[in-house]
Amino acid sequence: MRKSIVILAALAISGPSLSTAGQAQQSTTATTASQTPEPEASTSDIDGQQVFLNTCGFCHENGGRAAGRGPKLANSARSDEFIIQRIKKGKLGSMPAFGSAFSDSQIIAILAYIRALDE
Amino acid sequence: MNLYARYLGGCAVLALAATLTALPASAQDAAALSADAAQNDWATHHGTYKSYHYSGLDQINDGNVKDLQVAWTHFPERATRGIQSTPLALDGVLYYSGSYSRIYALDGATGRTIWSYAPELDEELVAKQTHSPYNRGIALGHGNLYVGTVDGRLIALDLKTGKVQWDKRLLDSKKITVGFTGAPLVVKDKVIIGAQGGEWPGRGPIFGIDGKTGEKKWEFFTVAGTEEAKETWGNDSWRTGGGGGWMPGAYDAETNSVWWGTANPAPLYDWSGADWKKSGPRPGDNLYTTSVIALDPDTGKLKFYHQELPHDAWDFDSAVGEFVFINRGDKKLVLHANKSGFVFVYDRSNAKIENVWQLVKNINFVKSIDPKTGELIGRRDLTLGKQDTPLCPAISGGISWNSGAYSPKTGLYYKIGQEWCIDVTVEKTTPILEPMAQLNIGATFKTVAPPDGPVHGHLDARDPVSGVKKWEINYKEPPLSSVLATAGNLVFVPDAEGVVHAYNAESGQELWSHNNGLGHNAGIISYSAGGKQYIAMPAGWGSLVSDDYATLFGEPFKSMAKNTGALVVFSLK
Repeated sequence: MRKSIVILAALAISGPSLSTAGQAQQSTTATTASQTPEPEASTSDIDGQQVFLNTCGFCHENGGRAAGRGPKLANSARSDEFIIQRIKKGKLGSMPAFGSAFSDSQIIAILAYIRALDE
Repeated sequence: MNLYARYLGGCAVLALAATLTALPASAQDAAALSADAAQNDWATHHGTYKSYHYSGLDQINDGNVKDLQVAWTHFPERATRGIQSTPLALDGVLYYSGSYSRIYALDGATGRTIWSYAPELDEELVAKQTHSPYNRGIALGHGNLYVGTVDGRLIALDLKTGKVQWDKRLLDSKKITVGFTGAPLVVKDKVIIGAQGGEWPGRGPIFGIDGKTGEKKWEFFTVAGTEEAKETWGNDSWRTGGGGGWMPGAYDAETNSVWWGTANPAPLYDWSGADWKKSGPRPGDNLYTTSVIALDPDTGKLKFYHQELPHDAWDFDSAVGEFVFINRGDKKLVLHANKSGFVFVYDRSNAKIENVWQLVKNINFVKSIDPKTGELIGRRDLTLGKQDTPLCPAISGGISWNSGAYSPKTGLYYKIGQEWCIDVTVEKTTPILEPMAQLNIGATFKTVAPPDGPVHGHLDARDPVSGVKKWEINYKEPPLSSVLATAGNLVFVPDAEGVVHAYNAESGQELWSHNNGLGHNAGIISYSAGGKQYIAMPAGWGSLVSDDYATLFGEPFKSMAKNTGALVVFSLK
């Protein structure tokens, strides 16, 4: 259930760079999602944990469960939209922009991994 | 020519050499740079080619350092991630680089700006880079100032005016993510510079560039750069890369050899355990990563090498560590500190091991290193999953890229060690060949205290060849700045909290300190302008190592401003 929310949020906010965004934005989003049993099908082959650990784990320690060079991500109060935009755009002097390094599907998979993190 | 005249004026031996033979200008330049001490100038990143980080000036000394005060300061624009560079000084002018490879030429006595330069960088690319946009240093020579950029270029500026002489793209940074952050090294008619790279699918090239024209004369791949080396990467794993020579090396004029250190292979960690020669992500020794290599500066050909950590599975680069040239009796030696916390002593003619000694106390990635052969004894090769005990030192290393200092007057080597470990869980990865901006780590980790107490750092004063310790100063947080030794019997350490300390070089007694207000993560030099000695250091905080300090230590790092900085210059009242 949590994963579905994540996917919906990503589709809703990620803008025209998402291949499906042009069709899925606004009012059609919920309908499309509800009529599609597995909206994450396009990301199902992506291991969000592996993508995260290979790249993000350098700063977000213990797989995102602990603060390090970057903040702790487990149980983050930040919204899905905020996290997706931060991954895409980065933060000057602190975090690179991964908007072109990762596909939208990979970013969604990373977000799903973060949301599933235990302490 | 004034450049060469000043070098000769500062060194009697060189003056004698100049009178004996009519050397071409470039040869005189090289000879001056091969002196023990930097005198009025600090003309190359490590002070001289001998990399002592030692000034022969003694106006400021152990008797009067208590009267040291700020002479002037300079604030660079866009100091994203602080300032991480080592300034240079020549003919009374101080030159330094800030983030985005911005260059400032300042009157060494007053700080008044003579010229500045800001290259137009590929900002979209820079925003994607993890190890960016800092710059760690510049080089002077051929009437030019040389600086690398994080988008893969080497730029030559006229030393007097700052006007661009040439601007050469050397790396396809859009493809391989990384560019240049380390200082170049001028050797004869060449400018030599190494690329970033340990976590990306590049081949860590080191370039030899014609200083006058910018023409590429040679390129040496530190990853599989020879057929012999390629055979040490099973399953064509050399394509995952690493091995960047991301800090400057040194030049031995006697053997015409450029010494350079190389980074780790990718991925950083490996799940193959003891079977690393045959399985895992990069089976084999992975030459020439985590190695010291000697190149012919004229051709770029490899002359000899020593791989400090065969099949480095812990991210313990050899790219860190200055090359300190020391003679003992009839032995011509070179000292090189590895990120693992071990210091290697080599025969300068062939890179054969003379000794290996341990600077850092908390080490368990090996049981020891054979001091006669350099062989790793009792390797701790990791396997998939969470490791039972923390790995020491931590990923930030027992030693970082900040340089130590050697005083020929005291015979002591002053070097900062870092004591920390990581809880680590090794993860299986798939090869990352492209696209850009993805790292290739292969583990998740968390920095933890070492077995012998809390995380801390220390400055050691040791015999450089035997490693025997004379004195030690402990710091709550590992200092991340280079060290300066001077003929005034002083050792300067700018620390992480922002305080710069001056110690008696013989005893370690603290004689003076001053709070610059920002952590130090850069170099420190001494020079003379108008007959007066100055000590110059950037203050400015923010790097992949220092970013961990807020979590580890709380204040003052939690509230310490990043993305700002200043060059602070001291003189006597």
